[in-house]
Amino acid sequence: MGTAPVLTAPFAFTTFHVAEENTMALVALRNVTKTYPASERGGSPVVAIDDVSLEVEAGDVFGIIGYSGAGKSTLVRLVNALEPATSGSIEVDGREITTMPERELRGIRLGIGMIFQQFNLFNSKTVWANIAYPLTVAGASKAEIAARVAELLEFVGLADKAKNYPDQLSGGQKQRVGIARALATSPRLLLADEATSALDPETTQEVLELLKRVNREFGVTIIVITHEMDVIQSIATKVAVMDGGRVIEHGAVFDVFSNPQNPSSRRFVSTVVKGIPSPAELAVLRERHEGRIVTISFRDGDASQAAVFVALATAGVEFELVYGGINDIQGRAFGHLTLAIRGTDAAIDTVLAEISSRVDVTEVA
Amino acid sequence: MDRLFELQGEFWVAAVETLYMVALTLLIGGLVGLALGTVLYTTRPGSLLSNRVVYNIVNVIINFFRPIPFIIFIAAVQPLSRLVIGTGIGNDALVFALSIAASFAIARIVEQNLLTVSPGVIEAARSMGAGPLRILRTVVLPEALGPLILGYTFVLVAIVDMTAVAGLIGGGGLGNFAQVYGYRQFEPVITWAAVLLIVIFVQGVQFLGNWLARKVLRR
Repeated sequence: MGTAPVLTAPFAFTTFHVAEENTMALVALRNVTKTYPASERGGSPVVAIDDVSLEVEAGDVFGIIGYSGAGKSTLVRLVNALEPATSGSIEVDGREITTMPERELRGIRLGIGMIFQQFNLFNSKTVWANIAYPLTVAGASKAEIAARVAELLEFVGLADKAKNYPDQLSGGQKQRVGIARALATSPRLLLADEATSALDPETTQEVLELLKRVNREFGVTIIVITHEMDVIQSIATKVAVMDGGRVIEHGAVFDVFSNPQNPSSRRFVSTVVKGIPSPAELAVLRERHEGRIVTISFRDGDASQAAVFVALATAGVEFELVYGGINDIQGRAFGHLTLAIRGTDAAIDTVLAEISSRVDVTEVA
Repeated sequence: MDRLFELQGEFWVAAVETLYMVALTLLIGGLVGLALGTVLYTTRPGSLLSNRVVYNIVNVIINFFRPIPFIIFIAAVQPLSRLVIGTGIGNDALVFALSIAASFAIARIVEQNLLTVSPGVIEAARSMGAGPLRILRTVVLPEALGPLILGYTFVLVAIVDMTAVAGLIGGGGLGNFAQVYGYRQFEPVITWAAVLLIVIFVQGVQFLGNWLARKVLRR
């Protein structure tokens, strides 16, 4: 929060607070459910969100990950009341929105930006008019709109594209327009619904960097919906894993990545983190390497890693690294390294006992 | 050919009458149809202002009138025409009947074209706090403008076609001209002259419509 916001918030409707002033959660969901009526007569209603409670603190980049159909897109639409919740309580910025009349909800939505997988730009309007649209809805004056749109175009690096139409832009440029449009009314909260899923890896990184800047420079809280764990890895500070309409695990990204508690979370984590080798991978390792195969799990430990290797080197055993890697999440390292260790059984047992006091050791084969 | 030369005056009068009927019908039917189609679109289940009762009423009315052959419809609405515009015959009576028929046809075309607007774009506008009527006016209609222009072009050609039966209730126009001076007097040249002018007119309209739509769609 050290950097002052670059953009000024020149409108009466903006509520720009710095995160530290507000210890209350920006978004709080309590026992929220959402059911849709049965699609056919006599069928049972579809439960899209099942008793979800979550808090998003101001300043967070909060990731929600899950497979398609897990309910994450529905969940995010409850937060800006694009869909009404069936039961439970949703507070945004301290205001209960589930009981709010539609007219008032429009005011709430003005203070929440949203970006989409398919960008959802207005094809009949220029880039400039797309970004100006929410400002017109908010009732800003012509001069205010012109100043704000110019600022935003500059911020997303598309000042030269103001007069272009969306179908003249690349996917990454379109999403940058989407971001500028979502930020136009200086919202405190930005909802990103699979915002990078239609983009190639390189453009994805560009857009994620831009979102990071939005969070850092303007203190905008971001809720990121994705099915890609590397998106969470690169920008989120906290993460919730959804499955079957429920939040099955949530916490700091580092904790969930380094020590996932749930099988579904583990599957997601395994897409970006090489953990303990699977039985099939073990069979291959077994064939190619002699000795005992051991996986050592490091949690937040560059120091413990050095100590482990010193212990191994002085124990009179031979070892080689056969699988795994070290990951960096928000400046903290963790990972799983699988070693093939050769030597006398006694020597290996001694050294494993020694290092297991520092780190988790699993003998896998 | 000589006969056509003799009837030159009547020919151009007929052409102007056709233009008059088409333009007036397009204006009235176009506006009423746009309104009806927009009501259909906005009140359909799951749409901006979904209202099952209104949707069903408008839907049933349109479905009731649409299948009636125009040549019968003219006779059927003649009493109503006398009541509303004071006459049941002539070009204006035809415009009256044709405007009603065109409204229903246009309503369907408008509804279909508005439905092509991506729900995601509407959701984006909602997420910015825009209300239903604003979304309709500033998002749905502009986004559907290209297809709407093509739809209206299509309807306009159909309207030209339908004005040809104006003679039935004492109206004029190129259709009547071809009937009276061409077909009934065994003068194929006259018939073909009227046909040629109609074809030129329709081609011109279609070209203009395509050009406008392309300009709007920027493709």
